[in-house]
Order: sequence, then C-alpha cells, then structure tokens
Amino acid sequence: MSRDCDEALANLYLYLDSELDQVSIHKVKTHLEECRGCDAPFDFEKRLRQVVRERLNEDLPEAFVMRLRAVLALEITGP
Amino acid sequence: MADQATFEKDALEYARQLYSAAMRMTRNPADAEDLVQETFLKAYRAYDSFEQGTNLKAWLYRILTNTFINKYRSDSRRPRQTDLGDVEDLYMYRRIASGDSAEAARSAEERVLDGLVESDIKQAVEELPENFRLPVLLADLEGFSYKEIAEILDIPIGTVMSRLHRGRKAMQKRLWEFARQRGLLPDDAVRP
Repeated sequence: MSRDCDEALANLYLYLDSELDQVSIHKVKTHLEECRGCDAPFDFEKRLRQVVRERLNEDLPEAFVMRLRAVLALEITGP
Repeated sequence: MADQATFEKDALEYARQLYSAAMRMTRNPADAEDLVQETFLKAYRAYDSFEQGTNLKAWLYRILTNTFINKYRSDSRRPRQTDLGDVEDLYMYRRIASGDSAEAARSAEERVLDGLVESDIKQAVEELPENFRLPVLLADLEGFSYKEIAEILDIPIGTVMSRLHRGRKAMQKRLWEFARQRGLLPDDAVRP
C-alpha cells in the first residue's frame, strides 16, 4: 500500500459519486490503471451499486397509475 | 413560472421512481401509493410556483420526503435517530476477497452479487434508521448529487456525506449477513 493507494481509497466514495474535481478524478483514474490492488475494490463497489439500484426499483402498479391520472384530472378540471 | 396544464405530462414520468422511493420509505404498497398521490396533488397545486427550467425531479423529491417526514413521523412511528455501529470501509469486499487469487476473488464476488435477491436488498435499506435511509435512497436509487440531497432534506452537505457513508456501510454489513444465510460465501469466509 503506497501513499497513492491510500489517497485513491480515501476518494473511493467521492469518485463513484461523481463528486471529485477534474484533477482528482484524473489522479484516481491514473492510479487505478496501474494498481490492480486498488482497481478491484473500486470495481466491486461499483458493481454492488448497480445491483442495489437495479433491485430496488419497483414496478408501478397499473391500477395505481390509472387512479393517479383520475385524481389529477379531477383536480385539474375541478369537481 | 410553470404551466399547470403541462404538469401531468412533465411530472408523471417520475411516478415510477417516486413510487420506488416511497416503497422503501413507508415499507408497504398502500402507504406508498398514498404518499405518491399526495405528493402529486401538492406538486400540482404548487406547480405555478415551480421555476420552469430548474430541477423538477429534485423538486418532486423534496415534496415527497417532506410529506413522508411530516405525515409518517407524526404518528406513532417516531423517527429512530439511532446511531449505527461502526462498520469498516469496504466491508463486503474485504471479506470476500481476502487471501484469494484475483480470479477466485472475482468469481466469489460474482456469486455474492448475483445471489442477493431483491428482498435482501430492499430489507437492508428498509432496516436503516430513517436519517440514514433517506440519503442512501436519494443517492443510490436516484443518483442525486450531495448538493441536491442537502437541498431536498434541508441538511448540510457534510451531514449528507457522513450519513451516506455510514448508511452504506451498515447496509453492506446487513447484505453480508444475507449472503451468508443464503450460502453464497466461500467456506473460509463463512465465519463472522
């Protein structure tokens, strides 16, 4: 573990959240290209996030969409 | 000024996302539907005060979370402002990958990520105390920036970052338990 590794890992969340400035993004990217030990955890965290996002999504019940449209239509035209 | 006539078209495209978030907030479909419906009604009534060209999605989420906080917090379900135990960074990764070759680690990771089912992930999020759950949902389900989350929840950016960080770690610890229960871990990683 070099100082570059420490720095990259400290920025892992900011990097994956797209919250780093351009200079820091470049530093992280350059480091990941040459350090397999750091690339692996970044890659895992990224895939974990994709899995979380995909599996948290719900289908919108069709009956609810119809009710929502009806409620809004009533609100728009008035009683 | 936004035009109320275009509201339905503009806002309804976010219905599915809002409903997904509402499900994780209220933890049941009936309350989630009520919450989303109320959000749309409030948004419609206030739509002429919405500044066209600004962030409609963030505005809708602000109404959603405020409605959730006001409505569901005022009843018996007090917010559990519980603290989360201290969980180390990269909790899952460090446990899956320890001591293996890169190829073995990679296949162990795939096994865990593929094997966690929807209900595991939903439950792990729902078990987070509300003050951690909302930032995690807004970031990981919706992809809002720290600044947007700070505005939606009306808390400082530093608070968003620390809650997000700790909420995600607590979630990983829970997901690791699910992975173990489902027998997804290599033998040497099964010990707690």
